[in-house]
Amino acid sequence: MAQEADFKCLRCGNSFRAPYSPETEPQERACPNCKSNSVRRVKEQKEAPGKK
Amino acid sequence: MTYSEVENVTGYIGNFKVTIRKKARYVDEKECNACGDCVKVCPSCTPDEYQMGFSTRKGIYIPFPQAVPSSYLIDMKTCLGNNPIACAKCQEVCEKKCIDFDAKDEVVTVDVGAIIVAVGNDVYDPTELDEYGYRSYENVITSMEFERLICAGGPTEGHFIRPSDRTRPKSIGFIQCVGSRSKKRGNPYCSNICCMNTIKDTVLLKDHYPDTDVKVFYMDIRAFGKGFEDLYMKSKDEGVHYVRGLPGEVEENPETGNLIVTVENTTTGKIEKHELELLVLSVGLLPRKDSDVVRQLLTLSRTSDGFLMESHPKLKPVDAPTRGVFLAGCAEAPKDVKDSVTQASAAAARANVILASDKLTVEAITAHIDPDLCKYCGLCVKVCPYKAITPTDRKKKIAPQVIEAACAGCGTCGAECPFDSISMRHFTDAQIYAQIDAILDTNSQDKVVVFACNWCSYAGGDFAGISRLQYPVSNRLIRTMCSGRVKDEFVLYAFRKGAPVVLVSGCHFADCHYIDANRQTQLRVEKLWDKLEKNGIRPERLQLEWISAAEGQKFAVVMKAVEELRQKVTAEEIEHTKEVLAPKPKKKPVEEAASSA
Ligand code: SF4
Ligand SMILES: [Zn+2]
Repeated sequence: MAQEADFKCLRCGNSFRAPYSPETEPQERACPNCKSNSVRRVKEQKEAPGKK
Repeated sequence: MTYSEVENVTGYIGNFKVTIRKKARYVDEKECNACGDCVKVCPSCTPDEYQMGFSTRKGIYIPFPQAVPSSYLIDMKTCLGNNPIACAKCQEVCEKKCIDFDAKDEVVTVDVGAIIVAVGNDVYDPTELDEYGYRSYENVITSMEFERLICAGGPTEGHFIRPSDRTRPKSIGFIQCVGSRSKKRGNPYCSNICCMNTIKDTVLLKDHYPDTDVKVFYMDIRAFGKGFEDLYMKSKDEGVHYVRGLPGEVEENPETGNLIVTVENTTTGKIEKHELELLVLSVGLLPRKDSDVVRQLLTLSRTSDGFLMESHPKLKPVDAPTRGVFLAGCAEAPKDVKDSVTQASAAAARANVILASDKLTVEAITAHIDPDLCKYCGLCVKVCPYKAITPTDRKKKIAPQVIEAACAGCGTCGAECPFDSISMRHFTDAQIYAQIDAILDTNSQDKVVVFACNWCSYAGGDFAGISRLQYPVSNRLIRTMCSGRVKDEFVLYAFRKGAPVVLVSGCHFADCHYIDANRQTQLRVEKLWDKLEKNGIRPERLQLEWISAAEGQKFAVVMKAVEELRQKVTAEEIEHTKEVLAPKPKKKPVEEAASSA
């Protein structure tokens, strides 16, 4: 199955999941709600060292 | 040069150097007069690729009757071997002594002024569509295989037979759009040629064998070229039966080898079963797999369907984005013979313009590298979509140089250079900063700074204007040739000067006029979003939009949207942004500090 990631639209604030693969980045994306291309990938929070 | 492969291309328009591997033919092409004595004695044998495996060929062969030059070659995979020589029967009988088992590949370099890419296409393999039983049932063949079977130069010399029992089929069906126009399997695009190819085949069948019952299963028939509709009508008049609907299942009668095709006839709404003696799958066209080598060598890009992208779909349909390179035939998109000939003629004419000129005029908008400021990081070399910058050498302190004839002037190198050593003629940093100053010197809180690329988003703005679409006056445009020119510093400078919102806009990815320079734009904006957030600035204040020249409507919508965002930016936010982005005072160098003490 294609990899997915979380994205956030910087125009309307909509959060959504979309296909994402680091090898094929950058990709043109549009917010499914407002069609804006100001779509930012929500990066996973890095775990603090030593924490489980 | 046939039976050869391009291995490398360097240089630029008017001055390309192409390295070509001429594969060893093991037969002297100049001496060979194609008498064929060698073929008679060659004991090795393999399926003939040209005849789609319906017949065999020898290890020494001419790939197809029209091959140039008309001389034999030895396929070493089929030959019993030349190391050590295992058979050499051909060598014994060749009166002209053309056969040389020690022949080696030859690598030649040629200087050319222009390059025409005409790599052709591949054909869809319908094996994955199990419902049609290709490979399971002998009498299900592809349209390519049909061509060989009906051709006078084919394995049966044009006596049309079906594979299972080598008898002439009395009922034949064609299934259209196999591997085309499907989002699930095969390809989403229309392969352009299949409808007319099938219509031509049905007419051919009716001409040769009027008693054959011919049926065509289709979604819709696309017969839009000159004389095409007439041929379609002729096919119908001759009694070809067109059934609107694509079969869902094909079964074989194991006793007769006949095929039972189940289809919903969408004209009548009824499920029908048709018994046919032969079934032809009208397969679609694919981009040529091995064309990727040429694509990378020439820095060409592909459209979403995988075919090579032209410089501009309407204004430069024959030019590739790399100057001096032209496209012809199915390399660019699926097309028939007539369109291929038209495009090839146009490509030859375009290439001739270059070859006939002593000097070439290039755009004055090019990059210039100041070797004194360059720190040899090589970033510009990496990002230039046209490979227009010569390599740098940090150890030897060799600064890169811009090959002006190859530079298209996108400005991506200028935007990426961390040492400000690259200036873009006509779009210099100073000119762009001056425009930002002019916009934000007064009432900056009321303005949105919009960077718009020349070809798409700026043209989209023009289109919005001539379409009399209303959009807010707060948006102030700064034109760059490509969005790739928009340096991160331009955006930060605008925020420092009090811009509430900045918009960077360019062409959609598939439309970039500088191959893929706008991908660098996106990467840069993504980094800027991170930087703004890290500094406590809402990343929303930097917007990114891809707007084509035809999207006047989208341009107006985007302008309204950014104005709404602007209204939500508070005076405190703007002040805070100015503070956090203010340039940090540089630490004084030690000597300077010492001397001032
Ligand atoms: S302006 Fe664009 S094309 Fe010209 S050298 Fe710089 S990156 Fe390459
Ligand atoms: Zn949105």
